[in-house]
Amino acid sequence: MQAQATQIIHAYKQAPWRVQRQWVGAFLLFVITASLVAALYLDVTARAAVAGRGIQELRIEITAIQRANADLGTQLADLTSTSVMELRAIQLGYRPVKPGELDYVAVPGFVAPEPAILLAAEDVSNPETILPEEYTQSLIEWFDERIKFGGAK
Amino acid sequence: MRRQYAIRSLTLLAGFGLVALAVIVQMIRIQNSEQAAIFLSQGDQYAGEFRMFYPERGEIYDRNGHLLAGNRTVYEVGVSLRDMEDPESLAYILGTYLGLTYEEVFKKLIESPESWSYVVIQDYVDVNTAAALQQLVGQMEDANDFRLDGMAFKPHFQRSYPETSLASNVLGFVTRDGRGYFGIEEKYNDLLAGNPVQVWVPRDPNKATEIPRVPNGTTLVLTLNRDLQAKVESILDESLVEYGAQNGVIVVMNPRNGEILAMATTPRMDLNNYSNYFSLYNDGSQYNRSIGTAYEPGSVMKVLTMAAALDAGIVTPQTTFVDTGSIQVGGFTIQNWDREAWGQQDMTGCLQHSLNVCMAWISTQMGPQTFYGYMERFGLGHPTGVDLAGEAMGRLKMPGDSDWYNIDLGTNAFGQGVTATPLQMLMAASAIANDGRMVTPHMLYSMLRDGHQYNVPSQYGGSPITAQTARTLSQMLAVSLEAESSGALLPGYRVAGKTGTAQIPTDFGYDENQTNASFIGWGPVDDPQFMIYVWLSAPTSSIWGSQTAAPAFSKVAEQTVILLNIPPDNVRLQIASR
Repeated sequence: MQAQATQIIHAYKQAPWRVQRQWVGAFLLFVITASLVAALYLDVTARAAVAGRGIQELRIEITAIQRANADLGTQLADLTSTSVMELRAIQLGYRPVKPGELDYVAVPGFVAPEPAILLAAEDVSNPETILPEEYTQSLIEWFDERIKFGGAK
Repeated sequence: MRRQYAIRSLTLLAGFGLVALAVIVQMIRIQNSEQAAIFLSQGDQYAGEFRMFYPERGEIYDRNGHLLAGNRTVYEVGVSLRDMEDPESLAYILGTYLGLTYEEVFKKLIESPESWSYVVIQDYVDVNTAAALQQLVGQMEDANDFRLDGMAFKPHFQRSYPETSLASNVLGFVTRDGRGYFGIEEKYNDLLAGNPVQVWVPRDPNKATEIPRVPNGTTLVLTLNRDLQAKVESILDESLVEYGAQNGVIVVMNPRNGEILAMATTPRMDLNNYSNYFSLYNDGSQYNRSIGTAYEPGSVMKVLTMAAALDAGIVTPQTTFVDTGSIQVGGFTIQNWDREAWGQQDMTGCLQHSLNVCMAWISTQMGPQTFYGYMERFGLGHPTGVDLAGEAMGRLKMPGDSDWYNIDLGTNAFGQGVTATPLQMLMAASAIANDGRMVTPHMLYSMLRDGHQYNVPSQYGGSPITAQTARTLSQMLAVSLEAESSGALLPGYRVAGKTGTAQIPTDFGYDENQTNASFIGWGPVDDPQFMIYVWLSAPTSSIWGSQTAAPAFSKVAEQTVILLNIPPDNVRLQIASR
């Protein structure tokens, strides 16, 4: 009885169609895995490329805005220059004040203002901001990093 | 059958294997060939480019935040030769818009070396012209007309001065190579220009590494008060016309901390058109005469002589001197400005009547060691250290110098034979206005960088005299002005000061007909908040400083008290007594 059962198992294992199916299964598994990796790689690469392009465009936009900002500041200074303001004041009927025409009022506790901090000062105190690596490294580089550093990084 | 099938399969397999092997061998061969190395290097060239990022030049503001020097966008207009479709059309349009001839542009487009891919047609094109050209290109592209293809626009900054010539002598200017000349622009060129950064910029967006942010150049805030500067320049220009003077200088300084509030000289130039420089100035020393031109100041020097004598204890205000109209020093006779004898005078009288003989007597009483020791401590013969480019330091001849003679001790006491810039005189006299403490004049109030403001502390140049001497002399000078009803007086405010009238030295001795008229003064006497120096060169309506520079001082002082909100003495003392 036991010998018969062993023969049946042996026959099942040795069945050619079963061996072939194992090979086909293994091959399909490999193909599917490779496809998944390729799709993932393409997705990550495409997103990184889009993000990179976006960064390039934003950088160009920042430069243009900074340039426009400087232009507007200079235009404003042109419009409020001493000669222009003096001319406008005269056209509006004003004239320079004379010392005898001034009244001084004592304000207790008043301290004459010192030149204030100009808010136009750009804050670039953290100029070393670096893009996250996810935006720049390839899948291979990511694998390489994981192999080298594991999950530590 | 099965055997035959197996042989065929093996044959095919071997065939494909051989082909695959051949492909692999060929790949390896190509990749390791000499040509591959060339192709690789060529490929690297197109993978990106090294780009230099120039920071925006720092701006310059006055103490109240008014922009004095900024930046505006201009364009470099060029043509990408690879994308060029129709050089004739490009030459015609660019020539028309940029004010160039057709031939000029066409030659650039056609005769450029073959290795060139881009040619600059014109730089520093203004925004409006560039916008008009860009609009035209856009319209033609919309109409599927590509004859203007290849036209390129590269924006960049150009220095701009909204106030044109205001404070031009202080600011200096920036040329197209980005370098500052004269004044603040030269002195602080490195700070203003910032640090350019060269970065590799890949074209592959996957390699869009973060380009480091290039910090702008440092923005500077000056101690200058724009409105006062404008008034002072206006008064100086009017004075030149009214008194027929050739050139002039007026400087307003805070004697407590050395902040220069206004500094006007002539001639001035429109900084947006700096090519005028060569038509206005013969040499760099004329660009800002208040620091660049040393001259014999004449009687304003008597202030320093008297300060030294009082401080050394040689005289007191009550010391009397009998003026006989002349004195012998070093074998030469020194006379008064009017060649008259003024009889018995106290020291205030000597100042009031500006007696050369009295001053020569004082300096001889002090002796050369004491006199020149004080003059050195007052900073004569040394640069003030003001933060402006192009400072001259004048000349104080000392005993032992090959060109020093005994008579110099007498003449130096009333400002002859010694040269100083107006700013040196202000610095020296600041010791008298500031309780004996001499301030270092400066123009920089603060620096703005990385979102922070760094204020520049005031510096002091020592204490050549005591506070008591300073106060005593201030009172003497105030009294002498009041006693002679000087044109320098300002109603409502007590001021101290001294006129100066100095003949102009030439190669053949002193010119009898031309003088340098000067005035140095400060106020209010009990709490000085401003010091003013006026120098008018060769006035023709009158040669005397009392009739030219003194009234100019009064006008400047009047505007100064208004713009600095300094109430009249009675109001101020009333407020202080509460």
